[in-house]
Amino acid sequence: MIKAVPPALIFILGALLIPLLKGKLKQVYLLVVPTVAFLDLLYLNPGTSWIYHFLGYELVFCRVDRLSLVVGYIFVIIGFLAILYSLHTKEDGQHIAAFLYVGSSLGVVFAGDYFSLFAFWEIMAVSSVFLIWYQKDKESLNAGFRYILMHIFGGCCLLVGIIIHIGSSGSIGVDCLEPGIAYWLILTGFGLNTCFIPLHTWLPDAYPEGTFTGSVFLSVFTTKTGVYVLARCFAGADFVAYMGGIMAVYGVTFALLQNNARRLLAYHIISQVGYMVAGIGVGTALGINGGIAHAFNNILYKTLLFMCMGSVMYMTGRRKLTEMGGLARYMPVTCITCVIAALSISGAPGFNGFVSKGMVISSAAEVHKPILELMLILASVGTFLSFMKLCYFCFFAKNYEIESKEPPINMQLAMGLSALSCVFIGLYPKILFDILPYDGVHYHPFTPSHVIGTIQLLMLAGLAFVLAKAMVVPHRATVLDFDYFYRMGGRGLVWACNVPLSNFRFKLQVFFSRAVYIIVRLGKNPISVLEILAAYAYQRITRGLRYVSGYSSSEIYEENLYRRPIGVGVLVAIILLFVFALIYFVL
Amino acid sequence: MEKMLKRLFLILAVLCIPLGFFTKHEHAVFLWHRIPSIEAVFGVFGAFLLILASGIVASFAQKKEDFYD
Repeated sequence: MIKAVPPALIFILGALLIPLLKGKLKQVYLLVVPTVAFLDLLYLNPGTSWIYHFLGYELVFCRVDRLSLVVGYIFVIIGFLAILYSLHTKEDGQHIAAFLYVGSSLGVVFAGDYFSLFAFWEIMAVSSVFLIWYQKDKESLNAGFRYILMHIFGGCCLLVGIIIHIGSSGSIGVDCLEPGIAYWLILTGFGLNTCFIPLHTWLPDAYPEGTFTGSVFLSVFTTKTGVYVLARCFAGADFVAYMGGIMAVYGVTFALLQNNARRLLAYHIISQVGYMVAGIGVGTALGINGGIAHAFNNILYKTLLFMCMGSVMYMTGRRKLTEMGGLARYMPVTCITCVIAALSISGAPGFNGFVSKGMVISSAAEVHKPILELMLILASVGTFLSFMKLCYFCFFAKNYEIESKEPPINMQLAMGLSALSCVFIGLYPKILFDILPYDGVHYHPFTPSHVIGTIQLLMLAGLAFVLAKAMVVPHRATVLDFDYFYRMGGRGLVWACNVPLSNFRFKLQVFFSRAVYIIVRLGKNPISVLEILAAYAYQRITRGLRYVSGYSSSEIYEENLYRRPIGVGVLVAIILLFVFALIYFVL
Repeated sequence: MEKMLKRLFLILAVLCIPLGFFTKHEHAVFLWHRIPSIEAVFGVFGAFLLILASGIVASFAQKKEDFYD
């Protein structure tokens, strides 16, 4: 009998073979790995397996239930589509980073304990940053560093929270948490990946700077693993529910102001994740099913949107809406698939977003949260406005200076399959309902009031867009977000370390060096005290005279003077780790 | 294109608003669930509210593209 392996293992080990293959064989291999992972998923039985004992704890690498399976399915499906889209990419490094990213995300989903979850969580952060850095320009390099710094902060919060939780409860199982310090620290760690406001700034900063193909992967895994762990550990928390509402409205408000097409999409990730978080925060069976169904659907249409904008940028070299327009003539496949994705994300009847968005909004009413329901409805209006803006200024606005053609066939195929999935689930949602975490939840999306109400909402919002189009015209500008405070705070911290603190340290060093010198000298020859006093008096007088004449002799801290290669630090860390392991395992 | 869009939205809006009077919310919980065609009102007011909100944000947060450089 074939024993299923953790799907993470297939992608992570699969990444190792990529550099050994070339040409068509490599392309076939890239598609075979997610296919094998999907077949493996079908073999997984509910329960826990692949359990290892480490430091007295049980590490569970394969915890299978309906929640992990549904997220696993969509991760592998979209992994396949995103790999298909990026098949023409020549750099092996990008493929390896993408495989490690998908694999580690699956590792988080199937992890049954906090230790292995944390390990996969960090692999996810490190592997994903390469999908940004492979763009190989100054903006992507800087954005990548900001991205990884934020994720290191989130990872630290998570680790400290996990340690406190294990210390207090003795359990390492990934389950619902009790309020306390550990609860809030772990929530901060998860919330950073899920883009809780104001920890969201890494997303609209970094995702638009990723490679064309890398951003397609990025748009899926980090935020959705965050949603998954929230569903696992924080379902039913009021704070989480209202944070979801705030994210939904905040995302669309900022999306309306964006000129960079991928930054607009990035803000919409925040908004759409807000729906999922709200559903999970509501915590009822309908809410959690709605949140997870929305994650499933969102992965399909959001990936499609990133694929479409990636194709536009790949073929035209233009990133900003002010530079686009009139592309519907040259790129009809891209245009049609983008419109399908826009209708899906707006929740138009017949498209997949309609089904899951309705579930989340209904769940807010189910638990009598009127403010939350109104926030989610408002976000629906904003979503439609933003995508009217995106589609109009990208494909339909007049621009006679632009010429283009359709992207390579693999990109078109990936977009076509994604669009087809959006429509298929929109028309036949039962296929999705059957695999949701809670069985037996009855929700009927195609009721007359829901269909008519949604059409009214969208048509009137569309009319308002056409009437007030001048107010949402994209401008060549950048819109400051909370990252302004982080960046300014960071600059302030660097200045404080480089100037006042380092000067203070330098002065202390000089003072103690002189003190030691004097003590040594006096110890050798006590009579030299007169010489020392004379030298000191001379030094003070000359310094005073220099000061009066305006000459400054103060020594300034030179940061490069004390720098050592990073390899030295790594070597020291490895040696310490080796010594620790030696003491722990051998002695 | 713009005229066509305006007409399209106007016609569909005019057609679907009366339909709202013939449908009823299945699980009316809040007061507005009982008001016919309330989604149309949400659509118009929501759109203007968000455009206004983004305009306010833009007034103090929109800077030159090279602001951070």
